[in-house]
Amino acid sequence: MVANPIDMTVLEKDDIQGLLLRGHGQLSSASYLLYAFTNPAKARHFLQVLVPKVTTAAEKPEDTAIQIALTYDGMAYLNLPDPVMQSFCREFKEGMTAAHRQFILGDTGENAPKNWNWGEKSPHFMLMVFGKSPEALQLALAEVNALTSSHGITALHVLPTGMLHNRKEHFGFRDDISRPVIRELLKNPENAQEETFPAGEFIMGYKNLYEEYASCPTVPAAMDKKGDLPPHPDDSNLKDLGKNGTYLVFRQMEQKVHAFWQYMKAQSKDNQSAIALASKMVGRWPDGSPLTLCPARPTPSLSEANDFGFWQDDKAGLKCPIGSHIRRTNPRDHLVTETSQKDSTEMAAKHRMIRKGRPYGPPFVPDLNPEKMITRKEDNQERGLHFICMVTDIRRQFEFVQNNWVNFHKFGGLEHDADPIIGNHYHNESRKTDEFSLPQYPVRRKLDQLPNFTLIKGGAYFFFPGIKALQYMADHD
Amino acid sequence: MSTIHKGLTVTVTLDEEKISYVNGLLMEYRKDLKIYQEKFSTSLRGTFFLSWLTLPAQVYAEKEKLPARILLMSSYVGSQSSHLRELASFLGPQLKQVFGQSREYPEKELDESGLVDFLKAKSIPNTFYSGFKFISTEDVNREKSLKAEVWQYGQGLDGAGKRTSPREIKEKIETFVRNQPQLAWAAKKIPYGLSNKIQMLWPLALFGLIMLASLISLILCLFLDLLILKILAFIFPIFILVMGFLFLLLRLNENIPHSPSPELSDEKVREIVALETNPVINEMTVIAPLKKGWIRRIFLAITLKLVGLVAYFAYIPTVHTARWLQMDRGKRLVFIANFDNLSEAYAHDFVDSERRAMNMAVIFSHAFGFPATRWLIHKQYNHRSNYMKGVRAHQKVTQFWYAFQHELSVENLKRNRTFREGLNKKMNDAEIREWLLTL
Repeated sequence: MVANPIDMTVLEKDDIQGLLLRGHGQLSSASYLLYAFTNPAKARHFLQVLVPKVTTAAEKPEDTAIQIALTYDGMAYLNLPDPVMQSFCREFKEGMTAAHRQFILGDTGENAPKNWNWGEKSPHFMLMVFGKSPEALQLALAEVNALTSSHGITALHVLPTGMLHNRKEHFGFRDDISRPVIRELLKNPENAQEETFPAGEFIMGYKNLYEEYASCPTVPAAMDKKGDLPPHPDDSNLKDLGKNGTYLVFRQMEQKVHAFWQYMKAQSKDNQSAIALASKMVGRWPDGSPLTLCPARPTPSLSEANDFGFWQDDKAGLKCPIGSHIRRTNPRDHLVTETSQKDSTEMAAKHRMIRKGRPYGPPFVPDLNPEKMITRKEDNQERGLHFICMVTDIRRQFEFVQNNWVNFHKFGGLEHDADPIIGNHYHNESRKTDEFSLPQYPVRRKLDQLPNFTLIKGGAYFFFPGIKALQYMADHD
Repeated sequence: MSTIHKGLTVTVTLDEEKISYVNGLLMEYRKDLKIYQEKFSTSLRGTFFLSWLTLPAQVYAEKEKLPARILLMSSYVGSQSSHLRELASFLGPQLKQVFGQSREYPEKELDESGLVDFLKAKSIPNTFYSGFKFISTEDVNREKSLKAEVWQYGQGLDGAGKRTSPREIKEKIETFVRNQPQLAWAAKKIPYGLSNKIQMLWPLALFGLIMLASLISLILCLFLDLLILKILAFIFPIFILVMGFLFLLLRLNENIPHSPSPELSDEKVREIVALETNPVINEMTVIAPLKKGWIRRIFLAITLKLVGLVAYFAYIPTVHTARWLQMDRGKRLVFIANFDNLSEAYAHDFVDSERRAMNMAVIFSHAFGFPATRWLIHKQYNHRSNYMKGVRAHQKVTQFWYAFQHELSVENLKRNRTFREGLNKKMNDAEIREWLLTL
């Protein structure tokens, strides 16, 4: 029998910004800086100076790293030609705060952009600066400040980050366990133990799950006067501005940790039941072990477990509720509306994202132990997550998940349930989304009037270009 | 009588210069609907959905202009004649005002029965799919409140409930339902259960029987010399030969280079999605001329007939109703769906699974701008992006859209029905546990 030929596509790591392939986890300090240009010529000169400093995926930085992402408004400010600007996808052009995008993302009520700290008016670009220590970060930030100031660039917001204990997020749950693996990064993809994804799902210029090149921004060949850009794979009249870049979705999510644990406590007879209830909402125990594999109690040996499905083990959601956070953001092999495991798996795979976010703000308790958080008083400190995901198709990947799975209150045959952790919970004439259903014998339990445990405080859609694309923008006159 | 969910499609041609006027009328009715939703649902008792729109002129095969049209597409339960009477009685003035803009509308004033006759005369066949078979509009509300009341009752079972056997729990629930006068209907058998199935399945059964009889006759012809056997024996081989021949012609047609539809402008997409703001159910209408070649028209017509035969077994997730039909001597494909959530999410349902992409290609590959295929179902390059572009390029603004209910998803409707069906039905413990999960 002849084996299927393996796609031997090689990723152009020296043209890809490092964060797309690495989390820079060894650089534990980081700041995200939002800026506005004030002069197009200076802006382009700034990019020319910056390009050699941008960390590529070919490097493994040990001290500092710097990455750049631009919004549609930012690129429009650079006076990129109209055919180039028009070639970006509609979601990116409209921006996260356009009325219809708000509707799709569920950014209404408490989460409406008018209540955000930033993003209602789009910044022009974001620098993401990483350091191996707070001191290293400060040195890098000083250099960045000098560079931006000398080019008349206005600093809009500084978003500091802080890694938390044991890779947890602020509610006290192990985070970022389920990550899609890019096939082209593996030496022997045919031997991969877990599901792998073609690079084109996350990096433009490569083939995606549909075996086609993801839609990407382009430049008419005649307009690439310096020949910075590679040809477009499907159209010889165009150059590929997207190659080795991607779209970066940024959402600043404030986490209401005190309210979260107080709600659990109010619904439970003791602390252990409160933790079990919170785990039902998440779909994993605080240590990360999945309820599907260990429904009765956490199992530390399974804290990184990711090789499980719902179709065989928990179709009805008796262990891990259908409406729980992990079943919505990655339904794996079971979608209630599908009639087969194969179809469910195929459908779910088409909506994955690479996540690169970091928490911000001080932990509610240093070790993020839920039992201590239940008993601790409100400290009125702001904390949360800078959610970052990278996708080649904003609509199919990020917006689909946010709209169809996270916020749709009818997900999986449910009636009034948005995602219990990150969904927008409210109750008005036309919609009620503040319930959480726990399938159990004899009759399901329904929790009502869930407050919003997370609030959106800012956000924007960015283009995270490859180095050559960045050079084109800097060279463009 | 039955509670089969059916589709009615009425269409007339329209002079192009009248499109904006008719659009204005329909948008006005849409505004009225927001105010009088309750009056609509009490007056249109058998009607689930109503889409009413104008269709601009389109070009077929790069040369033939297909006329502008008015399309009224409804879905209903019950007989077609009572549905037509219901429409004519409640929406008479609006129907007359809109259809009166067409040259096909009679010059003399129509009374209610005249309007019914007109609608009937202008109706055309369609292939119809329903995601919630055999549920009437009355059932929708009753089954919802039945489940809510039983769930409420179930809360009282909770403490001791965990130690009570499934059989006892079921008996308690059934007793509770029997003792509630307002739920007395639920204790009775669901009406038309068998006749619904027979009505839906007999065309398929007849088709299958003819084919089977032909096959058997083919074998018997070896042993018996009867004229009837000889005639029957021809049917199956001829059917296969004709289909094979058509497939070959289709394959030749597929060699014509693919012409993509011009992409819809961002502005036009915004105009369409601006109407998709309903919290649960939305509507999508896609109307495209067919690709050139008579074989496309013939093949699509046969396909739609065969799809209609197996509609009972079809399943399209998140879809309340869908219909496909051909107009203008088969040169236009009309697709309309009422579905859960938004069209951008819904359209993905068709291309995100390999199997479903193949199924959809059987119909959509004949429409202009939709992706090219080989042997009808095999995808060619950029299938997914061309499919999504095709859907958007031919999506129309539906000026007037009515839905009987806006609150329940298809899964909600099906679960409510499953719960009702389980009442007073014999089950073992495992089945009861599963049934209780629908609560």
